[in-house]
Amino acid sequence: MTKASARISRRQMLRVGAGSLFIPFSLKAGKAPAQGGKKPFEGVTLNISCWSATYPKLIADYLTEFTEKTGIKVNYDTPGFPVYNQRADLELSTKGSGFDVLNVTFIYTSRWIGAGWLTPLDSYIKDPNKTPADWNFADFLAGSVQPMKDKTGAVYGIPWISDVLMAASARFDIFKANGLEMPDSYNELEKAMQIVNKKEGVAGFSIENHWGWVFIPFLQGFGGNVFRNPPDDLTPTLDTPEVAEAAEFFAKLLNSYGPEAAAGYTYDQVTEALRAGRVNYATHNHAFCALMGEEGSKVIKTSNFAMLPKGPKGRFPGVASHGWGIPLGAKNKDASWEFIKWSMSKEFIARLIQKHGLGSVTRKSLLDSEAYKQRMVINGVDTGKIFLDSIAMSEQGYMKYRTVHVYPQANAQINQAVSRVVSGQMKARESFAMAQANTVADLKRAGVKL
Amino acid sequence: MRVRQPSWGAQRRRSFLAGLAPALLVLALITIGPAVYLVLTSLTPLNLTMPNTAWDFSSPVGNYIDLFEDPRFTRSVWVQVKLSVSTVILQLLVGLGVALLLNGGTRIRELARSGFLIPMVLPPIVVGILWRVMYAVDISPFHRFMAFIGLPVPSLITDPNWALFAIVIAETWEWFPFTMLMLLAALQMIPASPLEAARIDGANNWQIFRFVIFPYIQPTLVVAAIFRLIDSIKAFPLIFVLTDGGPGDVTEVTNYYAYRQAFTFSLWGYGSAIATLMVAGIFVLSWVIDRLTGVADAETD
Repeated sequence: MTKASARISRRQMLRVGAGSLFIPFSLKAGKAPAQGGKKPFEGVTLNISCWSATYPKLIADYLTEFTEKTGIKVNYDTPGFPVYNQRADLELSTKGSGFDVLNVTFIYTSRWIGAGWLTPLDSYIKDPNKTPADWNFADFLAGSVQPMKDKTGAVYGIPWISDVLMAASARFDIFKANGLEMPDSYNELEKAMQIVNKKEGVAGFSIENHWGWVFIPFLQGFGGNVFRNPPDDLTPTLDTPEVAEAAEFFAKLLNSYGPEAAAGYTYDQVTEALRAGRVNYATHNHAFCALMGEEGSKVIKTSNFAMLPKGPKGRFPGVASHGWGIPLGAKNKDASWEFIKWSMSKEFIARLIQKHGLGSVTRKSLLDSEAYKQRMVINGVDTGKIFLDSIAMSEQGYMKYRTVHVYPQANAQINQAVSRVVSGQMKARESFAMAQANTVADLKRAGVKL
Repeated sequence: MRVRQPSWGAQRRRSFLAGLAPALLVLALITIGPAVYLVLTSLTPLNLTMPNTAWDFSSPVGNYIDLFEDPRFTRSVWVQVKLSVSTVILQLLVGLGVALLLNGGTRIRELARSGFLIPMVLPPIVVGILWRVMYAVDISPFHRFMAFIGLPVPSLITDPNWALFAIVIAETWEWFPFTMLMLLAALQMIPASPLEAARIDGANNWQIFRFVIFPYIQPTLVVAAIFRLIDSIKAFPLIFVLTDGGPGDVTEVTNYYAYRQAFTFSLWGYGSAIATLMVAGIFVLSWVIDRLTGVADAETD
């Protein structure tokens, strides 16, 4: 057997193995468009998956509209972030046809696009027969589209969110009563936490336990970074004094001012704790903070928002984009594009903004619209402006660490390292020295030359 | 020339083999095939993002050398040992205790037997979610009760000193019905006469258990322990749902580490090497236990 044919047969075997995971979906999928029917895609069923953020969860309620309009039926699911990523990574790696539309996750953009696992979308975007001019691809934020491109500039994803990390206070009335403003620096943040923590039974600080996302702004604020010079030099730099200092500060915030079991809070728990007023202050995604102004929130009239506080070396609000993409092996690519077009149309997103207060959208025309601006004003604070200012800051390039193909490895090590520090298993310096050694080993194993 | 007919015994063996052949073929396809594939993959640096690493046997023991130099792997083995030993011991003790309590014929006991089986038949992910709620300080009835009586308990799954114990408790809750069921069956097989004789001789309950009941159920205990020990190595859903291997890596057992390497990092060669070592370890463990129990049985006889 030649090496090439052996490779093909291995890939086929992987495809069979992974494809079997999606048998329930596959049994329903794969029909060709009906010939001569009223709707061009009558009879087609798409399998679509995305992690469970606000926008993809909202879409689930509108799928019947899509089916009525196009004739395309949809099998749709929104598992949790890590579960989704593992499933999508495996499915894409086999180049299988189990899914027709998938979310292109920010930290996997380089890996999935670089490995050729996604379909280039330019032929759809530029074809007037497939995409009307008024859909206007140029309307999407350039910074949100950028991670969805390969080195040649080909586009592989249509961004549905550009989320930023910002600061939110659910009980700013407690801040005000104690003569405090929204903290603008780490020093101010710590002083404020010392004062407001446990006032009126409300814990001072909370943050989601995806440390590989929420800790990095602190790490950069103290002058550290994940890699030496990403994407060109991927030598990990987790064992520096700056990283240790950041981790100690971060652990202190969480352990001294967090609620019971703060280290276990997921993004949903942080959002609900803020909306219920059980936690006062968090650095959290804009899309989730926007929910503090929505129905069911108990803190609409006591909330306040600001940009992420700055550290000794500056302010580095995390920015991440996620987009819809079409797997290379998808069988109904034209129908897949129909879904992307519909779900990302200006009219549809505008409805979600108006009806549900959807934040962190990616169309410039919507970000500039009065309806969006009004909706993003919560208790008199323009969170939309904080969002845009944060995105503008990211143009410095400090987010490059996140879109390198081996960030998942570093992410796992950072999660464990912060967890060890927060839980008191190890001192920050020791824990991050271990993370450095492990990341170096993992990167070498992944073929990165350091 | 006279053709010699095969003996009746040979024909019988041949017929048995012919009857077994389809089942053996299926067995080979669904177990031996994937196992061979796993071992072959473990001899390559297969990384799904780098197709040229498939069938690259230039360094066939590279993954294994890496593994023995990988402190996270050895740490995960140690976590696995702690988890397996403690869950098996607890499941045997709890299962035995409940089986002794339920060993009788009343209606309430019959109902209780069915009730105790529920955890074992629940899907593992449901058990995980149930215990996730139990360990969530904000909403857990256990935590609320402890706080109400003035003895607040910190979150078990985020505390490195308690996280593994939290997994052990949940795992024991899920699987003690298995040992209970096996031991209950063994208890009901004990003939009445030696028990009556012991009572007539004036033996107390402890003596009856130690010198009459225990020898009868000992082989069942050993079998239950082997089953549970091997099954404990597959502990995954609870860890996935409750702790994600953390805090840090205190609950990262070996199969979780293999999963992380294969599914999070796409390093399938390395993940396969870990899985291969686990399979080998289970074979060795089963063989050792089989030898030990064989010797013990011979001595008893």
